[in-house]
Amino acid sequence: MELLFIIASFIGTALIIVLIKNRLVIELLSIGASFVAFISSVFIALKVSVFGIYTPLVFLSVDSLGSIIMLIIGLICLATTIYSVEYLRQETSKNIIGFTRVKQYFILLNLFLMSMFLAASANNPIFAWIFIEATTLSTAFLISFYNKPSSLEAAWKYLIINSIGLLLGFLGTLLYFTTTTNLGGNDFVSWQFLQDNAHNFDPMVAKIAFIFVLIGYGTKVGLVPMHTWKPDAYSKAPAPIGALLSGALLPVAFAVILKLKVITDIAVGPLFSHNLLIFFGVLSIAVAALIMFNAKNYKRLLAYSSIENAGVMAFGFGLGGLGVFAATLHMIYHSFVKVVLFLSSGNLLLRYNSDKIKNVKGALSVVPVTSVLFISGFLIVTGTPPFGIFLTKMQILSVGINTHPVASIIALFFMAIVFIGFLKHVTSMFFEEKQVDIEISDKHIWLIIPPLIFLVLVFGLSFYIPPFLYTLISDVAVKY
Amino acid sequence: MNILFLKFLFGVMFLTLVFLHLTKKNFLATVAYSIQSLVITIVLFNSFLETNNFYLLLVVFLSLVIKVIIAPIFFTNLIKKHALAFSVSTYFSTPLILIIISILTFIAYSDKFLPLTSIIPNNQALLSIALSVIFMSLFLIINRKGALSQIIGILSLENSILAFIIFAGLEQSPGLQIGVIFNMFIWIIIASVFISMIYKHFGTLNVTSMKNLKD
Repeated sequence: MELLFIIASFIGTALIIVLIKNRLVIELLSIGASFVAFISSVFIALKVSVFGIYTPLVFLSVDSLGSIIMLIIGLICLATTIYSVEYLRQETSKNIIGFTRVKQYFILLNLFLMSMFLAASANNPIFAWIFIEATTLSTAFLISFYNKPSSLEAAWKYLIINSIGLLLGFLGTLLYFTTTTNLGGNDFVSWQFLQDNAHNFDPMVAKIAFIFVLIGYGTKVGLVPMHTWKPDAYSKAPAPIGALLSGALLPVAFAVILKLKVITDIAVGPLFSHNLLIFFGVLSIAVAALIMFNAKNYKRLLAYSSIENAGVMAFGFGLGGLGVFAATLHMIYHSFVKVVLFLSSGNLLLRYNSDKIKNVKGALSVVPVTSVLFISGFLIVTGTPPFGIFLTKMQILSVGINTHPVASIIALFFMAIVFIGFLKHVTSMFFEEKQVDIEISDKHIWLIIPPLIFLVLVFGLSFYIPPFLYTLISDVAVKY
Repeated sequence: MNILFLKFLFGVMFLTLVFLHLTKKNFLATVAYSIQSLVITIVLFNSFLETNNFYLLLVVFLSLVIKVIIAPIFFTNLIKKHALAFSVSTYFSTPLILIIISILTFIAYSDKFLPLTSIIPNNQALLSIALSVIFMSLFLIINRKGALSQIIGILSLENSILAFIIFAGLEQSPGLQIGVIFNMFIWIIIASVFISMIYKHFGTLNVTSMKNLKD
């Protein structure tokens, strides 16, 4: 029932927005829909923590991993929608966008959020694929939102690269259905049904299928070398959309890889998928670290940070066992801290009118609260103690050092490079002398509260994990 | 449907892909895509004849309307609207393209991909052609500099994957197939809008002229 509330609220809101012309009503409806989604996702997570699974309809089913991801989307969607209202008002007051753009934004935002919820709860791989593809379609115009040549170029790149990736993922996903053809399977095939029949899977086909899946959905996750769309899309999209792409969409795509990994592991043993995940994970950490060092744009810097963290997650999931527990927790921390970073980067953009690092100087005295948010986010995301990401990175590396020492040392080395590179840019942006002509201001409370709440949340979760969430993460560690 | 006729249809599909690689005119590329989609629609109709599932007939109808008729009309309108008679050039020269196509076909028929092409041993020849068409579609997207050609390449990739899954016996329920076709329909609309926007901003469909993201 909760899932139906989520779908109905987003579809209803998107349809009503098409018909109305009152900006306040559009904003309130969107916040209302996100609030319904947030509350519903909390209820779903609580139910799954008690009953193990939540299946409202045959084609919608949420397990522990799905409920964690829905909780992440629910929280982020509420924060980003509230932030979007004030952010777009500021942009309207600067004559960057008009009412039609605002209307378009909220229609697409609601469709995007609905697609992510449906992809996370789909009980069939093709159903999940359809909604992940729908996220591409709904976000393409959000990336080209400002209608500038650069944003159009970023959106085109995003559309083409993701479409190719997802078509390869589609082929890979369909190959998993070879396990069901002998069973007369033209009916609805659930994840569980595929898993139960995985022993029928030809090992060679399973390997090829997983490679296609990893390339396909890995494109959406942003694993190197399929990551090329990510810095462009993240830097050109409005800040709240960047937060959603990094914090919410990345885990949704990762979940599909993990679900198909379980089936592959049954067919060919875990070594194959683990080695691939470790390889792409470490490669992503290394490439992101090297590029971050010379980044010139702070939103692109955040995109490369997402690539690095996707690599950390892949590395953790590839290690298995305790690594999966740490990687799942890392996924939660990363999603929340990216909201802090992207939303505070939006505040910087509003104040400085530039996303170039060289144009942002002395931010700590110009936008002090935003600066504290961004610097805190930087410390958390790079794995500075005592925050949660430090613990998850250490946990992943301590598991890895026993089984894959070389990969772990390489990963550790490049994680240190990430910290140094990020620190270099943060120092330049926040601690250097400010430009004389810039007004000191951090006055819009609704641009501060959403990232602040997430900072408190990620800080709190670093020291205390609620029992229901602990149960869910433990269940993911057992099943994946 | 007779296996020879199916082989003939797949031969046509293969040739449309070779033609898409060689043609210099956008309108002819659109026609080739339309023919390719018609082949897929006929193959889907064959599935309907074999199963008598009337929902599949709806899939056939949607495939015919969206892929064979509407998408080519969209592209033809774009070509007329922006006077895009000739497609943008390729990265590789024609002789090199033909050599690469041959290599890709050889790879598709090689032992490396035997696990895929022998999913249904009776359909091995058809699956090998479908796999080579998948590779050729990917190469088309990479090799073409024109935005419209890239779109046709992606749609060809989708067609070739469909051809592969039909003969690998991996067809999904009609409900899911309709979902996939609907997705592709929206994709075609969005991609067409983007083409117009690209032309408006850059005055060309040559994607190499987009150089605003170098930082």
